[in-house]
Amino acid sequence: MKLSWSEEDEAFRAELRQFLDAHAPPEARRRNRDYDLGDALPEWGRHWQATLFDNGWMIPAYPPELGGRNATPVQTLLYLEELNRQQIIRSLHFGGYAIVGPSLLEFGSEQQRELAAPSIRGDIVWCVGMSEPNAGSDLAGLQTRAVDDGDTFVVSGQKVWTSYAMIADRCFCYVRTDRDAPKHKGISVLMIDMDTPGIDVRPLRHISGKADFAEVFFDEVVVPKENLIGDLNGGWRITMGSLAHERGALWVEGVAASQQLVEELIELARDRGVAADAGVRRRLAAAYERTQSLRALGYKGFAGFAQGSSAPEHSYMKLATSEFRKELTQLGLDLEGPFGVVTGGEWGADPARWVNRHFIALAGTIGGGTSEIQRNVIASRVLGLPKG
Amino acid sequence: MDFTLTDEQELLQQTARALLENECPSTLVRAHMQDPSAVDPLWDKHLRDWVALADGELVDLCLFLTETGAVIAPGPYFATAALFAPLIKKVDRRLHDAVIAGEATGTVAMAGPEGEWTISSASKRTFVPEADRVDYVAVVLPGPRVLVTGGLPARQMETIDTTRRVFEIEVPRDAATPVEIDEADLTDLLERATVALAAELIGTARWLLDSTVAYTKERIQFDRPVGSFQGLQWKMVDMALDYERAAAAVSYAAMAIDAADPERHRAAHVAKAAAGRAALHCARGGLQCHGGIGYTWEHDLHLYLRRAYASEYLLGSVDWHLDRLAELLID
Ligand SMILES: Cc1cc2nc3c(=O)[nH]c(=O)nc-3n(C[C@H](O)[C@H](O)[C@H](O)COP(=O)(O)OP(=O)(O)OC[C@H]3O[C@@H](n4cnc5c(N)ncnc54)[C@H](O)[C@@H]3O)c2cc1C
Repeated sequence: MKLSWSEEDEAFRAELRQFLDAHAPPEARRRNRDYDLGDALPEWGRHWQATLFDNGWMIPAYPPELGGRNATPVQTLLYLEELNRQQIIRSLHFGGYAIVGPSLLEFGSEQQRELAAPSIRGDIVWCVGMSEPNAGSDLAGLQTRAVDDGDTFVVSGQKVWTSYAMIADRCFCYVRTDRDAPKHKGISVLMIDMDTPGIDVRPLRHISGKADFAEVFFDEVVVPKENLIGDLNGGWRITMGSLAHERGALWVEGVAASQQLVEELIELARDRGVAADAGVRRRLAAAYERTQSLRALGYKGFAGFAQGSSAPEHSYMKLATSEFRKELTQLGLDLEGPFGVVTGGEWGADPARWVNRHFIALAGTIGGGTSEIQRNVIASRVLGLPKG
Repeated sequence: MDFTLTDEQELLQQTARALLENECPSTLVRAHMQDPSAVDPLWDKHLRDWVALADGELVDLCLFLTETGAVIAPGPYFATAALFAPLIKKVDRRLHDAVIAGEATGTVAMAGPEGEWTISSASKRTFVPEADRVDYVAVVLPGPRVLVTGGLPARQMETIDTTRRVFEIEVPRDAATPVEIDEADLTDLLERATVALAAELIGTARWLLDSTVAYTKERIQFDRPVGSFQGLQWKMVDMALDYERAAAAVSYAAMAIDAADPERHRAAHVAKAAAGRAALHCARGGLQCHGGIGYTWEHDLHLYLRRAYASEYLLGSVDWHLDRLAELLID
């Protein structure tokens, strides 16, 4: 066990820093990831993602033709550390590079695999259509159906909470292709062009007031058969793959965000003149303690992961960091006092900064698998407890 | 930061685990309750050979102490390796050599009448581990100076924990001359001892967690294992999470101390606070998941629960460490 990495790895980090200094646009350095995408992707976002890709810095572990540089696991970790330390985002929409690209590479036909590079580069913008009104945590209960019509499938149904649907070129869509099979065995994945007739996207406003997800209605949408990804009725395997990919990369970001929040909370306590209050001090110290111990846990899990063993530690990270972020942002609200809930007008120069962050944090324990589902998964897969 | 264990560290961990599981069963821990000399053979035949770890990397000592904590090993090992050895290294090299060779045992008397491990000018020292059975007691005096002395009259302080015996002693008046010690050195070795105790607590928490998970898989109520109830599953997941992050925090603190990294002071407070929290969480939650059987004297759970509570309040509780941490972060 040691604190530092090899010289070669530190050289990798230095090269990345040089690149970021030279190329990262100021917009990509914004704090809080609090972008209101509306219905258009800003040009700087497209350009930045393409620049990362062309220079082998989009997904460093991939080969150059996929936007990487064959980086080792340690280098990938350093990459994420550095991006998060500088609070630089890679992309304004994670579906394409984090879920669809890797899934196409693993499950796609030769022709479909060629779409991986433009998906990772951000030339194709994706939304991921999993959740439905009656299929959230129990995703396998999804009902949107695709009926075989010779050379095509005809898709009808509804998706909900679909992030980026308003800006997406395509949907990576989970549909039911066999209604008689057991529920996990009748699901397939289709790529659907978002401008196919019969698709209706209705933006949904978040509780934070923003609208970057939507309901998507499919009314007899005709999809060519070659848009089937993987095997017919073999879609459940692809869902497991995409979610696993999402989780593996999340902890560095969650931890870096907590570190940032703790620093800001200490500043806030000073500004509010309560830095000498014993109760406030304990809460701040406890926040630091939790952040640092989670950070250590992330690295410990990484050591196992890099050696090819499974990393049970990482199962805890999404649960822990997302739950924790709610407490941290609540602490910000508490420190702001009665005016913390005032959202505008003449009373605050920086209206409702913490309440906004708190609202964003509230989504973190729902999206990407709720905390309750995470606990169930840990109980059975990590602790080996019997199914309920 | 790289948590990968070296081959030697893995070997150390495995060897220690196998040795302690074999040589320190709970029957021995219970025999020690009646007669402290019951653990003399454990020291004579085995543990004395492992004091040498005190003179190496703290990471290695912590790996070992996690295993002694997992069997709640009684006896002079912790006092000698985690407290006395690093202190005596600063004041008496010859004696230090003997200690590291496993030829002498010792303990440290520092906490004053309030029980806090800060320099005290009072005439008494409290919470002195194993004071009646070690060869030497190092008494920390204002200055700071250190007085090393042989056998001292010691009054046992009865606590909830029989596995670590603690004593009150009178500061000797006109014994040997005290030796000066650098204040920074004293802080360093207290920090080491704190992380070492946290490592031991991690082992204790691990036993509590593992035993609880195992028991709930076996115990049948309502025609199913109680471990299949979501209410218990989530309790255990939360215990496991506190345990995992504390274990990682302790390793990090040990690494930071070994590297003399500027983060080490904060890391030591984080480690003890996280470990204390995790151990108590696993103790209380573990007892609840066991139900009535866990509340009986025959079951080993209470031995671990007692050790967890006692260690939480030794060398600074969660709140004490958070308050020190706040000073480093805010002031
Ligand atoms: C900001 C945001 C972005 C999202 N983006 C997308 C997206 O791009 N694409 C997409 O497909 N989906 C997306 N989602 C949807 C998200 O995946 C679902 O909301 C989530 O899976 C939970 O499903 P649900 O909302 O139907 O809740 P439900 O499944 O109805 O759950 C309701 C409550 O019951 C609990 N519960 C359910 N099952 C169990 C169980 N077995 N044990 C214990 N408790 C249980 C849940 O934890 C929750 O507390 C997004 C959600 C949010 C908030």
